[in-house]
Amino acid sequence: MVASLTRRFGDLDIAEEAAAEAFATAVERWPADGIPPRPGAWLTTTANRKAIDRIRRENKRDDKQKEAQLLYDDDPPGPLDAIDDERLRLIFTCCHPALAMETRVALTLRMVAGLTVPEIARAFLVQEAAMGQRITRAKAKIKAARIPYRVPSAEDLPPRVSGVLTVLFLVFNEGYLASGPGTDPVRHDLTAEAIRLTRLIRGLMPQDGEVAGLLALMLLTEARRTARISASGDLVPLDEQDRGAWDAELIAEGHRLVRERLAAGVAPGRYQILAAINAVHTYARDIRDTDWSQVIALYDQLVRIDRSPIIVLNRAIAVAELDGPEVALAAVDGLEARLAGYYLYHATRADLLRRLGRSQESRAAYDRAIELAGNAAETAYLIRRRDQLGAAPGPG
Amino acid sequence: MQYLVSVIADGADRATPEEMAAIDAFNDRLMAEGHWVFAAGLESPSSATVIDNRGEEALVTDGPFLESKEYLIGFWVMEAADLDVMLKLAAEGSKACNRKLEVRPFAR
Repeated sequence: MVASLTRRFGDLDIAEEAAAEAFATAVERWPADGIPPRPGAWLTTTANRKAIDRIRRENKRDDKQKEAQLLYDDDPPGPLDAIDDERLRLIFTCCHPALAMETRVALTLRMVAGLTVPEIARAFLVQEAAMGQRITRAKAKIKAARIPYRVPSAEDLPPRVSGVLTVLFLVFNEGYLASGPGTDPVRHDLTAEAIRLTRLIRGLMPQDGEVAGLLALMLLTEARRTARISASGDLVPLDEQDRGAWDAELIAEGHRLVRERLAAGVAPGRYQILAAINAVHTYARDIRDTDWSQVIALYDQLVRIDRSPIIVLNRAIAVAELDGPEVALAAVDGLEARLAGYYLYHATRADLLRRLGRSQESRAAYDRAIELAGNAAETAYLIRRRDQLGAAPGPG
Repeated sequence: MQYLVSVIADGADRATPEEMAAIDAFNDRLMAEGHWVFAAGLESPSSATVIDNRGEEALVTDGPFLESKEYLIGFWVMEAADLDVMLKLAAEGSKACNRKLEVRPFAR
């Protein structure tokens, strides 16, 4: 097997490591799950996958071009091959509802995306030992409770897919929030990985609206990544981004998916609506061309199915563009009780207060936001905005 | 593969007649489909006695080993091929007896 792997991948080191990992996985899993009907094929498939994953990880770091190729869907949709089937089984197992959400995310990153434990620990700002334990315990639970290693049956698929999408969205967000200098480069891989896996799910369920919606949302968000960071590593807000730097191909595909879902005439779920909101934003050549009333209408739809105060907050930001900062501030202030600990609540208030000329209150809100913000680039951005307010008034 | 399915109560109320009927129907189904191994309801925790003979003398204490708002009121031992099958059964069981259930695999 190592020979065939070497022939395929031209690298003995990768081949040997992949083969060893495949055997280790077999030793781990077969006693509990039973020997698969064609053990040789299983081993080869598993080893191939591990080798591909390793090559991808290594290439991603050196070769932006190859990384880009992972994002774009060059292959026409066709029947899933053996490696895809393997990965799907893994995803559904790692995302099983009997596992805690944070466990599902960690396990998916380890088993499906092939990240190492130290990499995952760094991405989630958790101690390596704790992360290792989390994953070990999860594997033990899968074995002890006999969580089956398979893609759910057709009737069980819808709720299970929903769970997988949640995990993939979390993985994507972890990667997307990575920005600014000193960020661990592994986090950039996470968005590409999330997109890759979402495409895989879409291959399994090409008619599912929320899968399409999530993919569109990821593509439209990822398309703006490079424009989101300035040359000096600062965060660039949407209204200041160089839209020429947006990835046109990703946007085109995202828009295609959103249009496809609109044409389906089915009531959209949250990912489809979020994707549509992003589509409205990315459709505009300039921030001033943004169809804000359309954005607000979409948020109105979203609020009906997801009563999260963060959605109400984001809706208020759009309202500010249409009805002015005063109206928006009134809506935002109403969320105080539920969002007092959320840095974007204070950042939003700070911006609205600034626009209303209430500098002192704005400063106080920026201070609070800075205190609560966790991401270095976001913090730096907030500090910059606060300092733009001008000198604080002296005593007396 | 066998699982212990524990029925968790958090109040003093015993099963209503409707719940009893639903539980009976559920048990019939479990038996017909080969999932039923054993099941029983338990008397309230106040009827329990704890024995600790790890030391010199056997210590006897009146009451349950853990005082808590939630407690065990009954259980099934069920046979199922995997956790997915088990969770589906447990979902029905939870509905039938109108209680929270804990599903735990037997050690192998």
